[in-house]
Order: sequence, then structure tokens, then C-alpha cells
Amino acid sequence: MHKTLRPRISLVLMAVAGVLLWAALPVLVSRHVVDLLVFAGIYSIAGLGVSYLLGNCGIVTLAQSVFYGIGAYCVAYFSAQHGLPSGVGFGMGALLSAAIAFTVGWPTLRLSGHFLALATLALGLIGQTLFLELDWITGGTLGIGGLPKLSLLGWNLDTPQRFYYLVWPIAVLVMWLKHNLTHSRNGLAMRAMRDAPDAAAVAGVEIHALKVKMFMLSAILGSLAGSLFAHYVGFVSVDSFGVDRSISFLLLAVLGGVHTSWGPALGAIFVTLVPEALSRFGEIHSVLFAMTLVIAVIFLPHGLGGALERLLRRKAVA
Amino acid sequence: MTFALFVQSLFAGVTNGFVYGLVGLGLAVIFRGTRVINAMQGEFSTVAGMATVLMLDHWPIPMPVAMLSAMVIGGVIGLFLELVPVRALRRRGGTEDSYLLLTLGVAFTLSALILYFVGRDSRLLPGIGGEATLIFFDAAIRVHAIWLIVISTLVMVGLKWLYTGTHVGLSMMAASIDADGAATTGINVPLMRTATFCLGGLIGGLAGMLITPLTTVRYDMGMLLTLKGFAAAILGGLTNPFGAMLGGVTLGLLETLAVGFVSSGYKDVIALSILIVIMILLPNGMLGRIGRKGG
Repeated sequence: MHKTLRPRISLVLMAVAGVLLWAALPVLVSRHVVDLLVFAGIYSIAGLGVSYLLGNCGIVTLAQSVFYGIGAYCVAYFSAQHGLPSGVGFGMGALLSAAIAFTVGWPTLRLSGHFLALATLALGLIGQTLFLELDWITGGTLGIGGLPKLSLLGWNLDTPQRFYYLVWPIAVLVMWLKHNLTHSRNGLAMRAMRDAPDAAAVAGVEIHALKVKMFMLSAILGSLAGSLFAHYVGFVSVDSFGVDRSISFLLLAVLGGVHTSWGPALGAIFVTLVPEALSRFGEIHSVLFAMTLVIAVIFLPHGLGGALERLLRRKAVA
Repeated sequence: MTFALFVQSLFAGVTNGFVYGLVGLGLAVIFRGTRVINAMQGEFSTVAGMATVLMLDHWPIPMPVAMLSAMVIGGVIGLFLELVPVRALRRRGGTEDSYLLLTLGVAFTLSALILYFVGRDSRLLPGIGGEATLIFFDAAIRVHAIWLIVISTLVMVGLKWLYTGTHVGLSMMAASIDADGAATTGINVPLMRTATFCLGGLIGGLAGMLITPLTTVRYDMGMLLTLKGFAAAILGGLTNPFGAMLGGVTLGLLETLAVGFVSSGYKDVIALSILIVIMILLPNGMLGRIGRKGG
């Protein structure tokens, strides 16, 4: 009995230590690092959508930047330009993203493999162009500035430290929901669909409908992250919603590991903090970052999350 | 739109199409031989194009030599790509997606290296036949563009011959279709994979050499080239060498006609929307076979 209890206790202790460390971080590190950590939190929410599409449905999506952009522009349009409460921006972003994901996903999610990846890439590029061309809504290259800061229960979230305490609990909540989803009936159906689509279809899984649903959910996460981003930065422009953003979401998802719920958070911290840490080497830092990426892909096949999980399990067994 | 303008945009579309097709051809070669989607195909062209520019800056070498060395540079990069990172990943049992990410990482590395050593400038190469143009139906086409089309076609036909008529090509195909079976018949499977990447690199280098006089070369142009090439290859059916060219020309024409008939800002939106529709209607590519969805 002690043998089974002890690893649990050590895990609980580690979790408590982790939470304490998380709570203390904004005091311990510089404002600039907190700023980066806020971005990591935002990215991990959007990346989570990408991650479970890949991990649970086997869908590579390069369209997440579109929904990220929609979330941000809805905040800019409804909250900044029309002065509506921030909930409207968040809500309209989520609604619009889900609607677009449904309309576009219904025909394209019948595609498979590299075709689907290309279709989502095409969507990403279309979105990027439309954000630029529909400048009467989006402000084009000039962007829209002066977005209101979020306030929660009378607390104005106008510093990186304060936003940090909003964004990470949301990220953790979303990761917990993802964990539950993976282990639910739907999650089981999804894994069956990914690994043996024919068998799943025979067992009564409505593959196409399920994929569309998951795509919509992922889009809503992207939109949520985009809305948070817009409120945090206070300024939106096309440059933030290009295909390179989609690529970095995919990158952080795979880097973090697509089979763990908290992998995207690790991946997001990696892609925001590592370039910063390398920047003291001067101009060469972008080369070093790209090489770090190559090395991480080769040596961590299940991502940072997978590697860490195995380490913990080994600790727990020992 | 006048007739001359229409012909002019057709020329532009076809030329761009062959550029996309050539990049797609390199992608298709590597996919065919190793089942890896090479996200750094465009970087072969960027590095080779840039290296040729630098060589011509510093040494008085004749054009054909520069061209040949650009190809060799592409081939050597392909060789190293397979020998070092790809093999390391294969030993560790990489999945399909991890190869995509690996090559993406290598692409970032190379473009960051060019940025570091060369800078942000766009560079231009002289074309074959210089700036000379020919006139058809009141529309002008550069001699270099005609060379590009001719050379791309030759490469395509050459590849067809390689894969159907030569021992090496057949071994490459066998190594990719059934690695164990190929090994038992005495084919050196790892060598064939290396050769495949080298061939993809050669084509990429050649593409860079042919593209630079038309579009200039810049440290960050590789990704867009890869994307358009990917679109071309998939559109035509990833496993057919003629497919990439056909897909490329289709894409190029769609783009330029979209510019001609609608506003130029919506060029990519229209071309890409049509691309998605074609993919839904022809899930095996225009020249693909049944049962090979997306390659």
C-alpha cells in the first residue's frame, strides 16, 4: 500500500510546488519575461486546438491563424469601434469562427492526408489575404489600435503580471477540458477514427460529423486565443495573423507532443522563451533556434510533453 | 481586357506555372522515393540561387558553369539532408508528421543562415539570353522564360525515363514501395533513399537557377515556393512526374487569370478557392490513380 501511495504523494507535492512556482513567477522574473509568458499562455490555447486535431483526429491544420485573427478582429470591431462590452467580442469571435469552420470544414474535411493539409493551408492563405483586403473592417496593414484593456470584477488587467493570472488559468481550464474530451466516449470514437477509420465507421461512428465538430471546437479555441491576444496587446494588424502564425501553432503543438494535454503549454513556452534566451548570442540566434527545433524533432519523437511524462513515470515506478 | 493583354497574362501564367511545377517536381521526386513531404524544397532553390549570385559576384565564371554549380549545390544539400537529419530521425522511427517538421526546421535554419550571412537584399541573376524578348500576338515573352519551359519539360521527360527505363530509377521506386522486398532482391535501400534526396536537391538547385532571373532571390522566398510547388504537385497527383507540371501550369493560369478578371488583391483568394474545389472534385489529383488519396 505504501508503495502505491508514495509516488502519488510525491506527484501531489510536485503539483503543489508547480502551482506555487507558477504563482510566484511574475514576482521572480522580469516584466519582459512575464510578457513572454503571457504570450506563451495565449499561444498554448490556440495550439491546443491544433494539437488535438492532430493527436486525436490525425488532421494537420494550417488554418488556425484565420480563427485566431477572427477572434482578434471581433474584439477590435465590436469592443473598440462600437464600444460594446468585451463579452460581445469574445462571443461573436467564437460564433463566427465556429460558423466558418462548419461551412468550410463540411466540404473539405472529406479530404484526407496531404490533401487536407494543403486545403487548410489554402484556407490560411485566403484568410491572410482577406484580412488585408477587407480593410474597412480590419484596418489593413495599418491595423486597429486603442483596444480596451480587459477588466475582471473591477480589476483592470492592464499589466503583463495581471494578465498572466488571467490567461494561464484559462489555458489550464482548456487543457483540462481537452483531457476530459480525450477520455470520453467521443474521444474514444475519435481515436478509433484516427487509427482504424473503416472499423470505426462499422461501429457506428459518424466520422465526418465528428471531424467537423472537432474542427469547430478547435476554431473556437483559436478565436478565444485571438480575442485574448487583442485585449492584451491593444492593437491588431494583419502581420499577426499570417500563415507563419499557423506554422508556429503547428510547430508548438508537435514540439509539445500531441498526445498529452499539457504538451501545447510546454511547446508554447519553448517557442516564446528559447528564442529570447538565444538572443544574447546576437544575430545568429535565429539560426540557433531553428537548429534547436531540428534537434528537438529528432530526439523527442513524442514532443517535450511525451519526454517529460516518461520521465515522471520512470520516477514514479522507481 | 484586350487580346494582347490576355495573351500576355497567359504567358505570365504559364511561366509561373512551370516555376511552381519545377518545385513541385522536386517535391514529388522525394515523396515518390521516400514518402517524405519535403518542406524545404524551396530552400534548395533559394540557397542555390543565392550561391550562384555570390559566385558570379566574386569570380569571373561563365554562366553555364555557374548553372551547373547551382545544381550541384542543391544536390549536395539534398545529400546532407538525407545523410544527417533524415537518417537520424528514421533510426528513431519518425512518423509522417515528424519528417514534415524536420524539413520545416531545416528550411528555417537555411533561410536564417542566408539572412545572417547575406542579408535582406533581393538579388538578381542574368537570364539565359539576357533580357531578350520574343513577340507573339503583340505580347512579349522573355527568351529566358522559354528556356525555363524547355528545360523543365526536359527534366520531366528525363524523370519519366529514369523511373521507367533505368535500373537506378526502378530500384528507387522499389525501395520506396516495399523496402523489405527491395532489400531481399539486393537493392541497397538506404543508398536509394539518399540518391532520391540528392535528385530532389539537383532539381531544386536547377529551379533556383532558372527562377532567380525572373523573380529575384531573397532569404525568405523558399517557404512560398515550397507551398506553391506543393499545391502544384498535389493538384497534379503527387506520384506522377507529369502531374506536377500540369498542376503547376493550372495554378499559374488560375492566378494570372484571377488577376486579369478580378482585382489583383484577390489573386490568391480566387486561385486557392478554385484549388480547394478541384481537390474536392478530383481527390486523386488530375493525373492521379484511384486509391492514392493525396498521394
